[in-house]
Amino acid sequence: MSEVIVEVGDRHIREINEEIQDLCRKNKKIRIINTLSRHNLGIGLPPNCELSFEGSVGYFCGGLNTGAKLSIERNAGWACGEGMSDGMITVGGYAGMSVGAAMIGGTIHVKGNSGPRCGVAMKGGNIIVEGKIGYQSGFMAHSGKIIALGGAGDSCADALWAGEVWVAGPIDGLGVDVNVVEPTAEEVSEVDDILKPLGLQDSSRDWRKMVSGQRLWYFESRDANAWLMI
Amino acid sequence: MCGIAGRILGAPGTVGKDLVDLMDAQAHRGADSTGFAIYGIPRETGYVLRGMGFSRDKVDSDLSHFTNILRDNGSDFLKDPEILIDSNKHYCFRMEISDPKDLSAWITDADSLANSIEIQSCGRSLEIIKDTGGASAVADKHNVRDMIGTHGLGHARLATESSVLPNASHPFWARPFSDVAIVHNGQITDYFTWKEKLKRKGYRFLTENDSELIAIWVSDQMKSGLSMEQALKKSLTSIDGCFTYMIASTNEIGFAKDRFALKPLVVIDESGNLAAATEEQAVRRIFKGENDVINYDGPSLTGIWGIGNRSLAA
Repeated sequence: MSEVIVEVGDRHIREINEEIQDLCRKNKKIRIINTLSRHNLGIGLPPNCELSFEGSVGYFCGGLNTGAKLSIERNAGWACGEGMSDGMITVGGYAGMSVGAAMIGGTIHVKGNSGPRCGVAMKGGNIIVEGKIGYQSGFMAHSGKIIALGGAGDSCADALWAGEVWVAGPIDGLGVDVNVVEPTAEEVSEVDDILKPLGLQDSSRDWRKMVSGQRLWYFESRDANAWLMI
Repeated sequence: MCGIAGRILGAPGTVGKDLVDLMDAQAHRGADSTGFAIYGIPRETGYVLRGMGFSRDKVDSDLSHFTNILRDNGSDFLKDPEILIDSNKHYCFRMEISDPKDLSAWITDADSLANSIEIQSCGRSLEIIKDTGGASAVADKHNVRDMIGTHGLGHARLATESSVLPNASHPFWARPFSDVAIVHNGQITDYFTWKEKLKRKGYRFLTENDSELIAIWVSDQMKSGLSMEQALKKSLTSIDGCFTYMIASTNEIGFAKDRFALKPLVVIDESGNLAAATEEQAVRRIFKGENDVINYDGPSLTGIWGIGNRSLAA
C-alpha cells in the first residue's frame, strides 16, 4: 500500500475529506499533515484504509467511521470517533470530551487521558484509555466496554445502562445508579483479550467493574425515592 | 453555542489583531454578533468610554443630555467624542473623559439615559467594542486589528435567549467597576431569580441577556469585598446553569467552569504569552506549532492568569 500525503492547512474541510475519501477507495495509505487542530477530519471513512494524522485534530475526527484505521499523533478534540460502527482509532495524547459518543462498534485507544463523558451513550465497541477517564464517563452507555487503566474522574458511570466501565486505578466518585461488582475470572480474561493486541495486558491489575444498578431503567416519576436518587 | 477567547501578551502588542484571529476562527460558533474587550496602556487619570446610542437620528440630543450629566458630576470630555455612524439604526461612540467626582454615582446618573445612549465600558485601559456581525465585519468597522494592548477577551454570540441587538452582545462590563469585563459561553438557568434579587439591591439590568447577570453578580460580589478569585469560586455553587465564562481586569484574566463540564476551554500558555479559546483550532491561529495545550474539560474549575509587563517598551 503506497503512502500519499494530504495537507490540511487552511483548505476547506469538505475538499480535504473528498480527497481523503477518494484515496481511501483506492486503498492508499494516507498521511495527513499540518492538521492545525481542524475539525471534522476523516468523517465517514470506508473500511480497509489506513490514515495517520500528524499533530492534533479538532472535533469529530473519525466520526461515523465504518472500518478505517486512524492514528492521531497527538490530541483529539471533542467527540472523536462519534457514531463509529467499525475500525480502529488511536489517539496518541489526550482525547477531549465525549470520545466515542454513541459509537456502535470498533475500538478507540487513547494513550493519554480522556475528557468528560467518555463513551457517552455508546451502544457497542470498546474504548481503552491508558490514563484517566474524565468526569461522568460512561454516562448512559447502552452497550460496549470502557476500560480505563489510570483511574476515573467524579460521577463515574453515571446513569449507566447495559454498558460496562472497567477501571484499574483510583475513582474520584461514582455516578447515580451504579453498582461496582467483582468481575469473574472469565470476564477479566475477556478484557485482557481486548488489551492484548495493544500490548497493554497486565494480569496484576486490580479491576473494578461498574454496571447499571437498574433502578433508573424503570423510573417511576411519581416515586419520590426515585427522584431522590437522581 | 457561543465562542469565547482570551489573549495575554508578554508586553504591549497587537492584542486587537490576535483577538480578531481567535474570534474569526470561531465565527461558526455564533455569527449574530462579535465583541472584544481590549486592555490598552492604562492612563493615570481619566477614563475611556465605549458605548452606543439606539438611534442615529438622535445623536445631538443624546450627546447634549449625556454632556449635562457628565458635567454635573464634575467631569468633562478630554477630547471631542468620536461618533461612528453607518447604515445601522444604532451608532457607536468612543469618549475620553476626566475623572468624575464619584464614578459609581456618575454611572448611576448616566444610566438614566440608557434607553437612548448606553455606556458599554468604562476604564483606565478597558475598551469594549461590540456589534452585530462576524469577527471580520466588526473588526473592519471598528478598526479592532489596530488596537494595541496587553490583554483582552473576545466573544462570538449565537443568540438563544435574548434579542440580536448590539447592546445584548458580549463582552459585558461589570458596571460600575472600571476595567472589569466578562464573556460567557452557556446558559444561566436561575437568571430570573438572581436578576430579581440584584434589582432589589439597586442594580440595573440593561438587557435581557442572561450573561449580563454574571457581570452584575461579579460586581456585587466585588462590592461586598470578594477578590476576583473568590468571586469565581463562589460562582460555581451560587449560579446555576452550564457555563464557562472569562473575566478580565487590568491585572488578570480568570475563568470559571460549571459543575457539569459542558463548555470547553483550551489554553496554550508559553510563559505568560497566553491564548485561550473555546476551540483548540482557534489558539492554533496564534501558536502555529505543536505547543502543548491545556484542556480545561473537567467540572467545577476556576483559574487566574496574571498580566506581565504593562509598560510600553522604550
